[in-house]
Amino acid sequence: MNGENPRQIGARVQRFEDTRLLTGSARYIDDIRLPNMLHLTIARSQMAHGKIVEIDTSMLEDSDFPTWVFTGEDTRGLALRAHQDYPEMQYSEQPLLALDTVRFVGDPVAAVLAEDPYLAEDAAELVFVDIDPLPVVATMDQARDSTVPPIFEGWKNNTFIERQMKGGDLEAARQAAAHVIKRTYRNQRQTGVPMECRGVVAHFNDADRVLTVWSSTQMPHLVRTYIAEELDLPESRIRVIAPDVGGGFGIKGQVFGEEVLVAWLALKTGRPVKWIEDRREHLIASIHARDHEHTLEAYVAADGTVLGLKADISVDVGAYSTYPFTAAGDPGMAAKVLPGPYTIGAYEATFRALASNKCPLGTYRGVARPSAVFSQERLMDEIAREIGMDPFEFRLKNIIRDFPYKNVLGFTYDPGSYAESLEKMQALLADDIAAASASKQSKDKRIGVGFACFIEQTAHGTPDFTRRRVPIETGYVAARVEMNPDGEVVIGLGLQSHGQGHETVMAQVAADALGIDPANVFVRHGDTLTSPYSVGTWGSRGGPLGGGAVHMASLQIADKLKAIAGHLLQAEAGDIILADGKAALANDPSRSIEIRKLARAALRNLDQVPEGMTPGLVAEFSLDGPKDGTYANAVHAAVVEIDVPTSKLTLKRFVVVEDCGTILNPMIVDGQVRGGVVQGIGSALLEHFVYDSEGQPLTTSFADYLMPLAPEIPDVEVHHIETPTPLTPLGAKGLGEGGAIGPAAAIANAVSDALGTEVASTPLNASAIWDLSAHLRSA
Amino acid sequence: MSDITLTVNGTKRTVSVESRRLLADVLRTEFDLAGVHIGCAHGACGCCTVDLDGQPRLSCLTFAVQCDGATINTVESLGGKQAEHPLQQAFKSEHGLQCGYCTPGFIMTLAPYVDEMVGRGEMPSDADIREAMSGNICRCTGYQGIVAAVRKAISDQIGKETTP
Repeated sequence: MNGENPRQIGARVQRFEDTRLLTGSARYIDDIRLPNMLHLTIARSQMAHGKIVEIDTSMLEDSDFPTWVFTGEDTRGLALRAHQDYPEMQYSEQPLLALDTVRFVGDPVAAVLAEDPYLAEDAAELVFVDIDPLPVVATMDQARDSTVPPIFEGWKNNTFIERQMKGGDLEAARQAAAHVIKRTYRNQRQTGVPMECRGVVAHFNDADRVLTVWSSTQMPHLVRTYIAEELDLPESRIRVIAPDVGGGFGIKGQVFGEEVLVAWLALKTGRPVKWIEDRREHLIASIHARDHEHTLEAYVAADGTVLGLKADISVDVGAYSTYPFTAAGDPGMAAKVLPGPYTIGAYEATFRALASNKCPLGTYRGVARPSAVFSQERLMDEIAREIGMDPFEFRLKNIIRDFPYKNVLGFTYDPGSYAESLEKMQALLADDIAAASASKQSKDKRIGVGFACFIEQTAHGTPDFTRRRVPIETGYVAARVEMNPDGEVVIGLGLQSHGQGHETVMAQVAADALGIDPANVFVRHGDTLTSPYSVGTWGSRGGPLGGGAVHMASLQIADKLKAIAGHLLQAEAGDIILADGKAALANDPSRSIEIRKLARAALRNLDQVPEGMTPGLVAEFSLDGPKDGTYANAVHAAVVEIDVPTSKLTLKRFVVVEDCGTILNPMIVDGQVRGGVVQGIGSALLEHFVYDSEGQPLTTSFADYLMPLAPEIPDVEVHHIETPTPLTPLGAKGLGEGGAIGPAAAIANAVSDALGTEVASTPLNASAIWDLSAHLRSA
Repeated sequence: MSDITLTVNGTKRTVSVESRRLLADVLRTEFDLAGVHIGCAHGACGCCTVDLDGQPRLSCLTFAVQCDGATINTVESLGGKQAEHPLQQAFKSEHGLQCGYCTPGFIMTLAPYVDEMVGRGEMPSDADIREAMSGNICRCTGYQGIVAAVRKAISDQIGKETTP
């Protein structure tokens, strides 16, 4: 805080960006239109794996409109590369346009341009691609089978990488255990599906040698760096702009080949080029997520203490490693977080990323944690059942209570409310637990209660990335805050807001530090020209690091304002308080001066500032995350009702108790939690990318890939506990992803409770419920 | 190419369009209405919903040539640049939007529903409100803020409690 009383931080301020978004005044990527623009359609592989025999573009010569076509030969040398610097990692790169081999349905093969998007699609239909099929790796079991030929030449098997993490004495834990409980859990392939597909527009100004790229991305600076390196251009001459972005959820938190390709095409053709992904492309060829299998073995003492945990983690990451988090991102994250909020003293994980002929895997809200928490919390329920303990009491016995806590892998957890959250949830669910218990008399209608307890490492700093040796080396966020002569403030923010409300929250943060109204703060983001270098919006770092950077930069300006005020009021700067648009003496508020007058002094009337003060009111602050991040915690609970004869599952209640440290804007926090929960409900019940044995995607439209609709979703009750962290300037922890982490586990535990049977996989759609409830129908 | 005459947001204009052009594309390109969003282009997400002769319609499943003589209203016409329609105001106060991409479609679907309920002086149940938006997908909000916005837009106009 700024030491005085926060007025805006914590207030339910309505969002400034809403007016634009509600009136059709927002401008998304498809709204960028430039004179003389060419439209790109990408011809993509229709086969999962094969050798390109021929790409015949001769039919384009006969078309009655101008076309341009480029293939892998034209873009040779340009690729998406995402390598971890481990000797055992097998290297993959995805050419911008396929060279020789295609490795999944959707792999780009040819770039076809025309002067109208309809004509570009017509033209792409005229490109004939002859592919000789190769054997397809279509399942995780095939990918794990060392006798199956690798999908990359020179590889020894289809494992990108396999590594281990360990801590404590697992063998001793096993020896001391009274119970050994082993289970295998599986989460299906799915993705974030923002309502706006991806898209890129690029324009090269030859005279100034400036390349401008608009992209529907969460990370404009990283896109700029990648394009600069790949096309060998100076970063100073590249401007990347993320305009209004229609949802991201991590899917737009990677650098894509199309971003480089469209930039290259603009340079090559000398005309602005636009590419708008269509929904089918998005579903087959953007980024998929999850697709985990975990085998866990827990060693438990007679009194219910979990002594040790052994994990074997496989993730089918598809055909290529993705930038910047790589193929190892998901399996490594799962291995890292499985010890969770419990006092597990010994742990060993083997984790591997497997290559298959499917869409590449990348980040989606929660990144591996929804799968890890699913496995962990399913297992905790099974252990509790096996040793005859109540699931709450069992967790409370093992929960971490003393902070800071150094976990079995050496990560230090900052203070949280793990036990308190569990106890609060236990109280909130008392009536449902009783109703569920009573329903066990019925064979037709069963009620189940399930919950999941988890922590989330958020806003992790540079060392966390160094450890992982990923292409992204750091996780900092920067902001530049500038006060103009009229006292209005503009913030250049290195984040990109695609729904998080940064234009409001960051204004609240600056307003408190500067003693002004948030309406007088204009937040600009998503543009490399107007903000200092930052990693972008991902990893739940917007609030803690973006907010922290704005706060720290604003304080520098506040100090200068106070110095000027002290000078003009003939008082000590330290006795000045900034509030309500005025700088006033703390002990005599009648002596004050308007902040806008101080701004004018600092920028125009320099004769009024203290001698030696530099002109201007601008400050910049780059804030790296804490070494191990700051750990948010939550308990999610679901109450389900299952109609056994029809397998219809109704979600009766969903409750969240969460702790994200200092709440910056409660309206936005609740919105983020609820939105994440409903995506998690989709993961638990509906969303599933299905491939056949030839690697053909069967879920290529919204008729097949089902997402939650309003009628099947209950209100999500959100309860807060605030444990500010000492590790970020405002005490905030990350919260954007947490909502999506718990639902699959909570719902699976509820289904397991309702049906009295073990649940080992998702999605829990009607056919899964049918299979799980067979014992109730036959009895 | 066919000449068609459309009255869009109160202005009547004749445009020449190919038969295959979607209404959504024609509104976006010929009429510069960026508030018409395409989310799936196969009629499943509701992002492109516009008011066509008084009914919410999916402009991605409608060819422009089908609409000769029609009156079309888009989100741009609803509450002006300051979002003054009661439903727009309620979306703001109840946090019924995040990224905003699906929002014009929800607004154009729900504004006539709100008007109908206000006309009847009736506060629908949450289940009814959720059913009224079952043709629209929102990926950000989890729908709860949108339900609350509909309740508020109705209650503000009929002067009854926001909870049914």
